[in-house]
Amino acid sequence: MKKLFVLLLICIFLTMLSAQSTVPPEGIRKNTPAVHALKNLTIIPSPGKKIQKGTIIIRDGIIQSVGANIPIPADAREWDCTGLTAYAGMIDLASDYGQAKSKPQGGQAEPTRGSNYWNPNVKAEYSVADNFLPEKEGAEKLRAAGFTTVLSVPQNGVMKGSSALVDLGDDLPNTQLLRSNVFQHANLAYQNFGDGYPDSHMGTIALIRQTMIDAQWYANAQKIYAKNPNQPHPDDNRTLAALENIVAGKQRLVIETNDELKALRADNIAKEFSLQWILRGSGYEYRRIDAIRALNVPVIVPVNFPDAPTVESPEDAFNTGYEELRNWDFASENPSRLKKAGVTFALTANQLKDPSKFRTMVKSAIDCGLSSDDALASVTAIPAQIAGMEKLLGMIEAGKIANIVLADGELFAEKTKIRETWIEGNRYEVKTAPSADVRGVWSYSVKRSDMKTDTGSLDISGEIDGLTVTVLKGMQKIKASSASVAQKQFSLTFDGDTLGMKGVVRLSGVANGEVIAGLFDLPDGQSGNWNASRVKLFVEKPDTVKPSVPLCSTNELLFPDGAFGRAALPKQQDVLVKNATIWTGGPQGNLDESDLLVSKGKIMKIGKALSAPAGVLVIDAAGKHVTAGLIDAHSHTAISEGVNESGQAISAEVRIGDVINADDINIYRQLAGGVTTINQLHGSANAIGGQNQVSKLRWGMLPEQMKFEGAMPGIKFALGENPKQANWGDKYTTRYPQTRMGVEQIIRDEFTAAREYDKAMAAAKTNPNLIPPRRDLELETVAEILNRKRLIHSHCYRQDEIMMLMKVSDDFGFQIGTLQHILEGYKVADEMAKRGVGASAFSDWWAYKYEVIDAIPYAGKLMHDAGVLVSYNSDSNEMARRLNTEAAKAVRYGGLSEIEALKFVTINPAKQLRIDNRVGSLEIGKDADFVIWSGNPLSTYTICEQTWIDGKKFFDRSEDTLMRDDIAKKKAELVQKALKSKKKGSGSPPVVRRSSNYSCHEENHAKTFENEVGQ
Amino acid sequence: MKIQFVKYFSGRKYSSVMIIFLLMFSFQLSIASTPVPAKKQERPIVLIGGTIHTVSGAVIEKGMILFDKGKIIAVGVSFELPENVERIDVTGKQIYPGLINAASNIGLNEIESVRSTVDISETGRINSNVRAEVAVNPESELFPTTRANGVTVSHVMPGGSLIAGKTAAMMMDGWTFEEMTLKAPVGLYVHWPNLRVNRSPYSRQTEEEQKKGIESSMKELRSAFDDARAYLKAKKADGEKHQTDLRWEAFAPLFERKMALIAGADEVSQIESAVQFAKEQNVDLIIHGGRDSWKVAGLLKENNVGVIVEPVHDLPNRRWEDYDNPFTVPLKLYAAGVLFAISGGGNSTMSERNIGFQAATASSYGLPKEEALRSITLYAAKLLGIDSVVGSLDVGKDATLIVTTGDPLEIMSNVEMEFIQGRKIDLRSRHTELWKKYQEKYKQLGILK
Repeated sequence: MKKLFVLLLICIFLTMLSAQSTVPPEGIRKNTPAVHALKNLTIIPSPGKKIQKGTIIIRDGIIQSVGANIPIPADAREWDCTGLTAYAGMIDLASDYGQAKSKPQGGQAEPTRGSNYWNPNVKAEYSVADNFLPEKEGAEKLRAAGFTTVLSVPQNGVMKGSSALVDLGDDLPNTQLLRSNVFQHANLAYQNFGDGYPDSHMGTIALIRQTMIDAQWYANAQKIYAKNPNQPHPDDNRTLAALENIVAGKQRLVIETNDELKALRADNIAKEFSLQWILRGSGYEYRRIDAIRALNVPVIVPVNFPDAPTVESPEDAFNTGYEELRNWDFASENPSRLKKAGVTFALTANQLKDPSKFRTMVKSAIDCGLSSDDALASVTAIPAQIAGMEKLLGMIEAGKIANIVLADGELFAEKTKIRETWIEGNRYEVKTAPSADVRGVWSYSVKRSDMKTDTGSLDISGEIDGLTVTVLKGMQKIKASSASVAQKQFSLTFDGDTLGMKGVVRLSGVANGEVIAGLFDLPDGQSGNWNASRVKLFVEKPDTVKPSVPLCSTNELLFPDGAFGRAALPKQQDVLVKNATIWTGGPQGNLDESDLLVSKGKIMKIGKALSAPAGVLVIDAAGKHVTAGLIDAHSHTAISEGVNESGQAISAEVRIGDVINADDINIYRQLAGGVTTINQLHGSANAIGGQNQVSKLRWGMLPEQMKFEGAMPGIKFALGENPKQANWGDKYTTRYPQTRMGVEQIIRDEFTAAREYDKAMAAAKTNPNLIPPRRDLELETVAEILNRKRLIHSHCYRQDEIMMLMKVSDDFGFQIGTLQHILEGYKVADEMAKRGVGASAFSDWWAYKYEVIDAIPYAGKLMHDAGVLVSYNSDSNEMARRLNTEAAKAVRYGGLSEIEALKFVTINPAKQLRIDNRVGSLEIGKDADFVIWSGNPLSTYTICEQTWIDGKKFFDRSEDTLMRDDIAKKKAELVQKALKSKKKGSGSPPVVRRSSNYSCHEENHAKTFENEVGQ
Repeated sequence: MKIQFVKYFSGRKYSSVMIIFLLMFSFQLSIASTPVPAKKQERPIVLIGGTIHTVSGAVIEKGMILFDKGKIIAVGVSFELPENVERIDVTGKQIYPGLINAASNIGLNEIESVRSTVDISETGRINSNVRAEVAVNPESELFPTTRANGVTVSHVMPGGSLIAGKTAAMMMDGWTFEEMTLKAPVGLYVHWPNLRVNRSPYSRQTEEEQKKGIESSMKELRSAFDDARAYLKAKKADGEKHQTDLRWEAFAPLFERKMALIAGADEVSQIESAVQFAKEQNVDLIIHGGRDSWKVAGLLKENNVGVIVEPVHDLPNRRWEDYDNPFTVPLKLYAAGVLFAISGGGNSTMSERNIGFQAATASSYGLPKEEALRSITLYAAKLLGIDSVVGSLDVGKDATLIVTTGDPLEIMSNVEMEFIQGRKIDLRSRHTELWKKYQEKYKQLGILK
């Protein structure tokens, strides 16, 4: 009774709704009744539920009722849907449907019109609803794939604008648009192919961060101004206004990514601004599934499972990445692993070349452990819920919009075809099934015009609309050359030669139940009637062909996944290293045949013949040497997608810490060279570059876990040829500065501005009726330098520029932490020593550019002798593996003592980075970061055997040998699997995971001079 | 000597006297600040008391090595010395043959980023006629800095896109390039076309485009050789009739096996192709680069093809490869019996002085020490066809040798004396002189004593 009442209410409500068009009719009014009864259906109203022989009543685009035995309204048009299964229409939350094809991104194109954001890549004001136009062909393709509704997402920029949820019917935009301004969209995978800001991943993040700050400020400023308008009005800004609900946490932001590490970065941004957000994933979520679960946000994931790599030739196999093979092997497990982890996710056809592959791809996810119900939910109920439309979409239920897909079988079964879709009660045929199923065995009889009769049989099998026919006549079996059925029209041709008729025999006829009757033509011109009756029904053979290779991976996931990752992270151990030559790097100097005791990640004791506490791991290191972990004070290792933000001459707001690439294989390779801590620096494209990050090489852990806790913040500066673009090519002659004079001025100007900014911010806190100054991340960062909370690490070469920066530091009263490269530092070492400025130098580099013409390998020793704190760095993923022998060059060139030389790569850089209370030497209470060497660490014949960080063994040469064998074995297995595997057919290579191997081979324009800029 | 003075004048009141003395001392030095090419050996020299590493044979403790007119006369523990001999006591020192860098562009490249100082690559695809030695600048500041680390001979090779030009073995001291040339031509350098389709999503070309590119490069290479043969045949048959083509003329020593074909090749398919090509063309082949050469070491051994490995100090090319893979290429070639040299500075001329340390890295990862040393002396000489004059300390060879404080592959040792064809080499350089100059500054300031 109550149910009926509700139903009645809905009906009344719907009747009211039906005439709400705002568009005047064209021509004669079209009033075909919109009441439909779809009967004899199998209905899957929602995942896990099933109604046999059911009926769906649709009235005016809304589902009126669903059930097995429901009355059919008298005014309903009836549709017999025998053999079909009804599913809620699929919803894709990451589509570009209905939008003008996007131009290549990036570039500071035309001046923007309207009161928009200063950076053209921030387009929050862009609304798909304002630009939406249904596309006939696109809609047809999507419907054929089973979609009825998509979220049309803006395509360009970093902050891309707002999306709209649209139906896939062929009608006016007004009728198809379900909801505008559904989400705002940000793209963390933004790539700039032209000039302009941002041109790095960290720049993208910095831009989003500043935009959020601006949007917060804007909302606040508008409020204050409304109350108190007697002050200069704040800028109008449509872009920031569009973000008001985002920063207020009232609207959700979809953050797009192309690898799992970006998902973690997205989370950092969201947390910083308390955003409500949704992750648009990459398919790589499985690699860090626990971290993805911890984000606790819904995820929209693609199913572009890659094709098997080409491994036919041994050389191709050799050059195929182990990671690529592993990802191919794991990819289709991504959805099931998300499910197991309890992550709410929707699947999207985005990234697939063709949406028609979508269900096939979902099928392979199902084959890899995702239940069909969960798969269905992830394309219906869950996307509806994510979009906040669960009351209207996602299920077949009374009251919901009549978006329905009719398939001729289980939705994700291989052979199933989508037959029709219903969108808001409008019927769209996808593929007309023949109304007759003629499969089976028929016995025929032919009456020729010469009155002879002839009999035989036809064996018709195959697909209902893809027939295979064999003509059986006596002992003869003739394969038909063509056979088809359309509507009820059956036709057949076969070669008559074996039956003594030279030529092609043609038959046609109408299939009516168990009888086919019609006409035939023989090659000799004879014609006549034929008929056939079914003697045996067609029985579909079960799919007995088992795939020859296991569909899903049999490998264990590693951290990070790929070569030299580990299934379990190293555990902290209590260790006693015995009988080694210990280079303490502290007042004790070198100790022969001594022991090092480590507990809970700290150094406990150093001395002779220490006794081993119970349970401690004892390493006999007789004949070996032990040093503190090496520290590289100039590294570009483990940085994702761009070490330079060269879109602006000052980029103090960008942070290397935002873009740590924990998967960089160079982390592992450097551990194999005894490096434990690195100073990750921005490049030297800008006079004032980005913020640095001091990290420990905790291989396998997450980016945030690599950060050196409590390390003093720093920033990269650069002087000389690089910031003045001397070697960037002939195109680069206009950005300020182009001379060393300009470099000085832009730095002074910025410090002046930062000082004024700092003052203004401090003064503004008082009056709540006045619009406060806008927080500026660039100036704020520079002000931190002035307030001695941030150290400068400046790239420099010539003595004049070195003196210049030191004079600026005198005038503004800040501290330079290190001068990097500092190749002419030996000429002004006294001035450096006076100011406590550290030298982080190359050992012996010179002659690669004009400003290093006077570089000498004796510089380290000379600066050291003049009282400067000197370290040697690598600035290179390769040389970082040999820092110990780089230090030896201070012995070769100038005769520094061996003990002091090793300090160039241990305690000295630790002091320069202000982390010497924790690392850099082997002293009691310091971090258990140490290296076991095969011999004197300064000898070129010595190799690193073990590297420990925080009492955890991150590198062990003997373990490395085992890992190599494992890689070789697993790679061979995967190659075999790839050879056997048929193409899954997404037709797409995986989303590119970019490496951070910044060498001269890097392709991006901003990185072609990376080698240069690095130096 | 200096130390004694410091001790003597260490009292405060003498410090100014000391400074004046030191000033005078260093002033004298700075007068002759530019190293001058050494004059010809004028009389026999014998080095006495050092450990002699002949490289070709046994190590001789407390030995003597006698050389005259630029040639080694005798090596041993004791032998009779000529009357006018100059005796140099090198007790406690080590004597090695001068190091040979088998792949270099020293003299062609001064400052990488300043175009006007770089003469490495000629334009065009076929430059068989260009000769490296003629553009070697004897005044290059890199000669003194590089030879100060014991490098005495460098094999200078032009760069370019396909057929790069002819290479030359250069001595690291002399007034003109002609004086410096030890052997030219050594080889004809060909950057072997890449033969592998790059299926990375980064690749800018489709598979089809790449295949076409591969085919046309190989065709270009083959037809150059064919044209050269046809030209030389025609010239031989009737020299008057045919006008000169310098490009094809340049192939003559290659076909006469007086110089080698040097293939710049890292990948397996490149190396396989070069080996096959050299066989067909009946020319001698050397592989340069050889990153993946260890994969086809058997093929190289079988065909008697040597490899100039460059560089050892490199990152693995593929993410999944062993971290020490570039370090162990020489070891793997050695194990397979392939003749190899370790060379270069990783395409960076300034680092060529570090070839000894690259060899040492190969050794620290398994190559026997003696083999590492040979890879930058005798083996390099053999590959370049100059082992009759350099590469080991044997009677009759050039007196091109170094005297060191220790193992030249060890960074912490130093070269103290150097002879090229018996000429005493000045080991000072821009670097030592700037060092001295600024030591002087800090002495003036009282920071250094």
